[in-house]
Amino acid sequence: MSAKPASSGATTAFLAGAALLVAAAAPIVLGLGNYALGLLVSALVLSGLALSWALLGNLGGMVSFGHAAFFGVGAYASALASARLGVPVAVAVPLGGVIASASALTMLPTLRLSGPYFALAILAYAQIFRILATEATPITGGAAGLQRYPALPTVFGFDLSTRTGSYVLVLVVLTLFVGIYVAIRRSHVGTALRAIAESEVATRVVGVDSVRLKAWMLILSAFMAGVFGALNAHVIGFLEPDYAFGGTWSVMPIIAAVFGGYHTVLGPIFGAVVIYLFDQLVAKSLIPVGHEILLGLVLAAMVLVAPNGISGLVGGVFDRIKGGRRHAAT
Amino acid sequence: MFELVLQAVFSGVLVGSVYALVALGLAVTFGAMRIINLAHGELVLLAAYMAYVVEGRFGLNPWAAIPLALVVVVSLSWVVFKAIDRIREHRELNSLILTFAVGIVLTNAILLIFASDVRSTSSPILQDAISFGDLFAMKGEIVAFCVSLVLMAVLWWWLKKSWYGRAVRAVSSNRSAAALMGIDPARIETASFLVAGALASFAGIALYTMSVVQPAVGHGFTVKAFIVTVLAGVGSIPGVFLGAILLGVTEALTVTLASSALQELAGMVLFLLVLFFLPNGLFGASARRG
Repeated sequence: MSAKPASSGATTAFLAGAALLVAAAAPIVLGLGNYALGLLVSALVLSGLALSWALLGNLGGMVSFGHAAFFGVGAYASALASARLGVPVAVAVPLGGVIASASALTMLPTLRLSGPYFALAILAYAQIFRILATEATPITGGAAGLQRYPALPTVFGFDLSTRTGSYVLVLVVLTLFVGIYVAIRRSHVGTALRAIAESEVATRVVGVDSVRLKAWMLILSAFMAGVFGALNAHVIGFLEPDYAFGGTWSVMPIIAAVFGGYHTVLGPIFGAVVIYLFDQLVAKSLIPVGHEILLGLVLAAMVLVAPNGISGLVGGVFDRIKGGRRHAAT
Repeated sequence: MFELVLQAVFSGVLVGSVYALVALGLAVTFGAMRIINLAHGELVLLAAYMAYVVEGRFGLNPWAAIPLALVVVVSLSWVVFKAIDRIREHRELNSLILTFAVGIVLTNAILLIFASDVRSTSSPILQDAISFGDLFAMKGEIVAFCVSLVLMAVLWWWLKKSWYGRAVRAVSSNRSAAALMGIDPARIETASFLVAGALASFAGIALYTMSVVQPAVGHGFTVKAFIVTVLAGVGSIPGVFLGAILLGVTEALTVTLASSALQELAGMVLFLLVLFFLPNGLFGASARRG
């Protein structure tokens, strides 16, 4: 992982903005049907989750095997708040994120643990949350699930509960989070976090409170994952513990982020779209039961052949071109 | 009530002894390479399915699957090692992701080959009940318990007395110093994965003979093994044994006193309690804080 100069960061941000605008307009211009738009909404939800996973992995140096915990907490918190407490959905969704962050507070003691221990501790949390959601029947509806809660609202006459509305909303939220991620990465905090990922001990020696910074990244990552869990809950209109806290939400963001390259901002998003569409359109039709085997093979191959993901491969080519140019100039 | 509790403790000890085998496999590779093999549980599961094949196709006792399981699982363990060995950057995190991927592939391969049905032994010899006073067990459980004890003794001897075992301990305590003493770390790492594969073979067959298996449980074995190593603290075989027994007993008591839905939760809670309050494990002294 190499620190990029600020100018390249600004270019990236500009390109990202342009790409997202095009992404927002394209399906509407192309007039995609409800099925295709539905696929894209799910792919973008996964993109958001992958982004939150990569933020933790890239800026915090932590691999999480339990992001389903945050995704599920966000989903249930938002659905329950809007259904039982009458909170408007527009407030319930960010509230879902906040409660997911609050659930991350219970994990803070695990941050003192080194790599593999943290990874496994967070996996334990995801399991615990799933079992709690299943057992707390009076509140969550238990294994039978939760169905009657409000859908996404209509804002300024634009119905967000339609496929097109959901698509635009999810894309806007995703863009917002990309902005936050980029801003943190380019700040002093980002520099400190990158240093922690390289060598935590060395960073502590120079006076950076690494555990505190990592804690903030965990809380932020949980917030993002929780918001996307909440959005997804209101889009699909049905929740059950085995779905909301399902292993899929822990596994897919890892595959997506590693495939796209989790050291970059856009890699995980791109990876999520590609991996999700590949899974839904190719893998599932080839192998209806056990299609995850193909995803597992992709993940293993990426770690071995291109540990920096697709963006690492592409970036490698760019660097070589740039390096050549710089060499010619000096 | 008291008898129920006593019976739960007894059953917990028997299951725990096999958890110890699973955990030791994980611990040996962690000791030698500082790497957690997240596919270890799937290797155990694969051995269990080898027992299913041998029993179902050839009508033999599941324990007759040992040669087949050893060949398949040990070679696969070696393949996993070779793959990990290719990782160059961010080795700790990337090896976690890689072995996690291998676990996904194995689980789904088992699902594709053997379907998602629950499998268990149909051998009457292993399923017969045997009583010790008021306590009951299946004969299969007693066999598994004895196999575990013998293997633990063998492993203890191997680590303590044999040249390879000493080399493994040397590499785990100081890799560079061990290399300077003429020990080839690569050779030791290979050995540790082969031993882990062998332990997984026995553990898988033991689990097949005393409980039920299905493709989804492989991941659970890894988690249990990891919980045990956390309970034990890094480093001692008796520690791993006691940690595994503690996990087995906690699970059995939860099922008896509360509900079987909470069985997994009990292990997880125990795991988090130990992580928070006794970060060096119940019996270990070595540090794992980063």
